[in-house]
Amino acid sequence: MGGVLVPHTPYFTVKLAAEPESADARCFAAVRGQLEELRPDVIVAFDCDHLNTFFLDNLPTFAVAAVNRFGGPNDHSPGLERRVVPSHRGLGEAIHERGVDAGFDLALVQSLEVDHSIMVPLHFLTPDHEVPLVPVFVNGLVPPLPTAGRAHALGRAVGQIVRAYPEDLRVAVMATGSINLEVGGPRVSEGELWGAPDPAWMDHVVERLRAGEVTRLVEEATAEKLASVGNVAGELLCLLAMLGAIGDARPDFLEPQPYFGHAYGTWLLGEGG
Amino acid sequence: MSTYGVNSVGRRVVHDPAFRELLRADPEAALDELELTDEERAALMAGDVTTLYRLGAHEYLLVSIALHGALGLDPKLFSERIRAAGPRRARPA
Repeated sequence: MGGVLVPHTPYFTVKLAAEPESADARCFAAVRGQLEELRPDVIVAFDCDHLNTFFLDNLPTFAVAAVNRFGGPNDHSPGLERRVVPSHRGLGEAIHERGVDAGFDLALVQSLEVDHSIMVPLHFLTPDHEVPLVPVFVNGLVPPLPTAGRAHALGRAVGQIVRAYPEDLRVAVMATGSINLEVGGPRVSEGELWGAPDPAWMDHVVERLRAGEVTRLVEEATAEKLASVGNVAGELLCLLAMLGAIGDARPDFLEPQPYFGHAYGTWLLGEGG
Repeated sequence: MSTYGVNSVGRRVVHDPAFRELLRADPEAALDELELTDEERAALMAGDVTTLYRLGAHEYLLVSIALHGALGLDPKLFSERIRAAGPRRARPA
């Protein structure tokens, strides 16, 4: 079981097509190459929906999809046509049932469309959309967020469930999101709809990841800290969940892009699952 | 989070094409469908995202209104107004 971290910046689908030599295009290609070496049977994705799959009429803190397939994006992402992505219903059901047994009250989703936060990564990593993906949703955008410790522990439980699953699956665990980012809030840059307000936090997170100091990062990523960084900083919870699932390893590849406030990484993909 | 009516504008502008068109063509009629306070309604009609944010609307939903060019908002104007709001507490009081 290996892990990947990628951003899901909506306009990258257009921008990186025009800039194939850019740092972000190189990073996506590097992660994709390593992911292809693992040849995953399934991707389990920790994702923060952006109020598109779910809304404030019914907003789960944690949820898992147990479906044969799902579609997306459902939020008008530039450069992306709607695609249907296969899923792995049995594994989704196991994560729901065993997860609840283990004390993680995951909402069950049996029909869904997802937004750019899953479809942008797939556009770059599995452009044929042939690898089944099981989405596990973590509320990282609407306070109060689950605690970092809780998200990390959920990841650990999901990792155990995947390893105990009767079918022998090669699994990649994907975390998607940013580390230092504000979108549409008061800390956007002048004239822009986004900003990267706290570069020091980004540097700190990258340092902790490189050192494999996940436990310390979990302790530091308090609700107050994440809220002070930016309104998208809660997407770190998906990264912490992924690290919990794969066992808090050090990254084999980690490249931050400070300008955008996000990073690309791979963990244990070379171990053959 | 309260302000469900305001948030649902940002939701429906993305997911409900008929509402999106009505909001652009006749915002008063579009807002008539929603449960809003007078203050929320006035701020929406004015594209006053500074006030809407302070009232507790989620910025992801507000930015969708600007991205779809409704309520007189465009990205540049949105940026200017939301920057004027100043950060909100992590949890609404």
